[in-house]
Amino acid sequence: MLVRRTYQFLIVYCIGLASLLGLKYALSLSDYVIPSIPLILETAGQVFSDYLRAAFSTLSVTVLGQIISIILAFSVGIAGRKSSWLGSFIRATAYNIQAYPIVALAPIIFILLGDGFLSRLLIASIICYFPLLLSVLGVMAAPVQEIEHFYQATGRMSWQLEVKIRAFENLSKLTTVISGSATLAMAGTIVAEFIAANAGIGYSIRTALYQSDLAKIFVALFLIGIIISLYQGLLENIGQWIIQKKLG
Amino acid sequence: MQIISNNLSFQYPDSDTKVINSLSFSMHGPGFNAVFGPSGVGKTSLARIIAGSITDQEGDMYTKGITTILYSYNMERLPGWSSIGTLLQQVTPPGREALLEELIELFALQNVMDSPFTRISLGQQNRSNLLRYLVQDFDLLIMDESLANVDEKLRQTILLHIKERFPDRMFLSISHNLMEVATFCKEILVLGTREKSGKGCILQGLDLQQDAVLDKDRLDQSMLEVMNAC
Amino acid sequence: MNTTTTYSLLFFLFVSAFSSVAAWADQQELNYRLKWLFNIGASGDIYAQANGSFTAQGLKVRVREGSPEKNAINELELGRADFGVASADQVIQALDKGAHLVVLAQIFQINPMQWIYRDDQPKINKLADLRGRKVGITFGGNDETIMRTLLTQASIKEKEVKLSGVRFDFTPFFRRKVEIWPVYRNTQGVILKEKLAQEGEGVRFFNPADFGVHFVANSIITSEKMLKEQPQVVKKFLTALLQGWKAAMNPAEENKVLAAVKKMNKNTEDGIMKKQLAITRELVWPASGTIGAINEVAWKQTEAIMLRQGRIKQAVHVEKYLRQQYAQCELTDEPSGTGVLK
Repeated sequence: MLVRRTYQFLIVYCIGLASLLGLKYALSLSDYVIPSIPLILETAGQVFSDYLRAAFSTLSVTVLGQIISIILAFSVGIAGRKSSWLGSFIRATAYNIQAYPIVALAPIIFILLGDGFLSRLLIASIICYFPLLLSVLGVMAAPVQEIEHFYQATGRMSWQLEVKIRAFENLSKLTTVISGSATLAMAGTIVAEFIAANAGIGYSIRTALYQSDLAKIFVALFLIGIIISLYQGLLENIGQWIIQKKLG
Repeated sequence: MQIISNNLSFQYPDSDTKVINSLSFSMHGPGFNAVFGPSGVGKTSLARIIAGSITDQEGDMYTKGITTILYSYNMERLPGWSSIGTLLQQVTPPGREALLEELIELFALQNVMDSPFTRISLGQQNRSNLLRYLVQDFDLLIMDESLANVDEKLRQTILLHIKERFPDRMFLSISHNLMEVATFCKEILVLGTREKSGKGCILQGLDLQQDAVLDKDRLDQSMLEVMNAC
Repeated sequence: MNTTTTYSLLFFLFVSAFSSVAAWADQQELNYRLKWLFNIGASGDIYAQANGSFTAQGLKVRVREGSPEKNAINELELGRADFGVASADQVIQALDKGAHLVVLAQIFQINPMQWIYRDDQPKINKLADLRGRKVGITFGGNDETIMRTLLTQASIKEKEVKLSGVRFDFTPFFRRKVEIWPVYRNTQGVILKEKLAQEGEGVRFFNPADFGVHFVANSIITSEKMLKEQPQVVKKFLTALLQGWKAAMNPAEENKVLAAVKKMNKNTEDGIMKKQLAITRELVWPASGTIGAINEVAWKQTEAIMLRQGRIKQAVHVEKYLRQQYAQCELTDEPSGTGVLK
């Protein structure tokens, strides 16, 4: 999974780059508009280590943001799983907040928390959180009647057991959602860094954009792609391992 | 022990027709009884009404001398996170460990105790499901196709043993197996087709006991009565 | 109505309709990409459109907003724009990377990129006064390049000042976490000054040009190809545009200019916009300047700064790409600036 994701990304990246270079030579565009391969390589040589550090900084916020959103999504999802007023309220709120573009919320977050680590973390968590919450709510609100019936009939059902049954029965769905949410968390962190932060690969992209330096942006995109592929691949592998271990 | 139905009707909210229409009967326990009839006549709906999981029926449905009713059905599953043995032990009330061991042996499940539920056959799954109900407290156990996919010989062994081991309890078997119903049951509620619905009648089965000899003529007669009643 | 009158009327209608169609067909369609959103900093561009300067030159110009992503140089190369506005550093960087551009005119004679600070803070009389101060810069932006040049010029090491990355949110400045904050003098500068005045606080502006750093801001560019193949169109466009700018900077036209800008940008208050226009006049047409004039010395200095800071790999000799002669049109009037910046 890890290797497959990485080479899939490399194929997509190379196709994208080749298309742009095709356009560059077809329209005789300068290196300013679309940089040539030697310029990209030269730029990569100059910025690779800095950008790699920035990408890992972004990844660390992503991982932390994702962990927070998973914990939150499960807590809220479990609390709101009953088809009660609270459950429907949480669902409606989640849908509504998800509809807000984060760039609209970001200024408020930056005013409250400044443009440091916390803002990045919060925005990453927000972007990752709502899709996760809706999936967790979906899973937790759907009874697994053929398993739960016995425990209900014999008076053995507790909320912990109910959550365990529903989570276990939807393990592959949940692991897919969690690994998929890694992309969202990464995108959220990058957006936060792009809008306002002093670190991370999103910040590097913004700086490069100010300088109209597309070569740097290509290097940044390469690193983002590789890192998210590796991270997502790792999560998928963990998910597979859990499923194999538990489901056999 | 008695189950009494008086002018009972039930219709699912998304359906135009009544699945049970003005059904009246009275069934006595303890013992092994059955509800028999072709598919779609409302056997499972009736079982759920008796068990109390359906409550929006019309007419009366009540019991006498029955406090705890359990309803088991053949689609039930055990959770997959532990072995069957562990799960069965976890749901066995204190003091009933010996009963559990006895039933495991009787149900021929010794070899699958370390396996997860998904790794065993359908027959083994149904047996392990029924087994965990049998170790619970109950007055009436409704067995909705609970021994589906179990071979004839083992079914017979299990049914006879249940009758002997739980003489003071009432069982209500929901089955399509005419011979099984006629052979092992004491009272058989036969639900007819829609045209005949409401006229559910109670017939007597052979109520075969452990070590007793089966009277084939009586069985044929009983089966014929049941068929004619449908 | 007799027959003669009817025929005369029909003839008149036919001639009128034909001449309108002919005039429309004669108009050349051009795309003009600005550097930023519609605001007072583009008042001349907006007014050239609004007062019919382009139409008078037989041009139909679509003036479009810009942003870091909607870069005029890219648009020129991709053939989506015929003219554009780019900052000097963008132009020099593009030339360094093989772009074929020419600079036709320089809009801002004084770079609006300046720094604001409260007047209860020590006044910056000399560059050495920056030592130990908390200075905001946009990392990667022009202000970073300018500030680093100023610091180098004053032999101030980076650790001797507290450089802080800034964003669109002014909170760190309002909370005094950052003391000296980068602003566009004619837009954000006016807004911040007003806000602080409401709190009873006065401000000063720190202009790098006062300390000998002339970093050129926005200029009008086109492709070499356009200039070579359609010099007459270039001339017409530039004439119309500079006429627009000249009219926009004329205090007598103030109400019309404000109305034209307001039409495109409804978010800025009238009072603020009026003050912004007054400052813009000082930057575009100062007492000692000529509208649209290209300050070659400043361009060379800008290139030297960028070379020194490694933003370009080799000298591009930007003076070779400056086409001063195209901006020599109707520039004989008196400047509109009244010296309010001083």
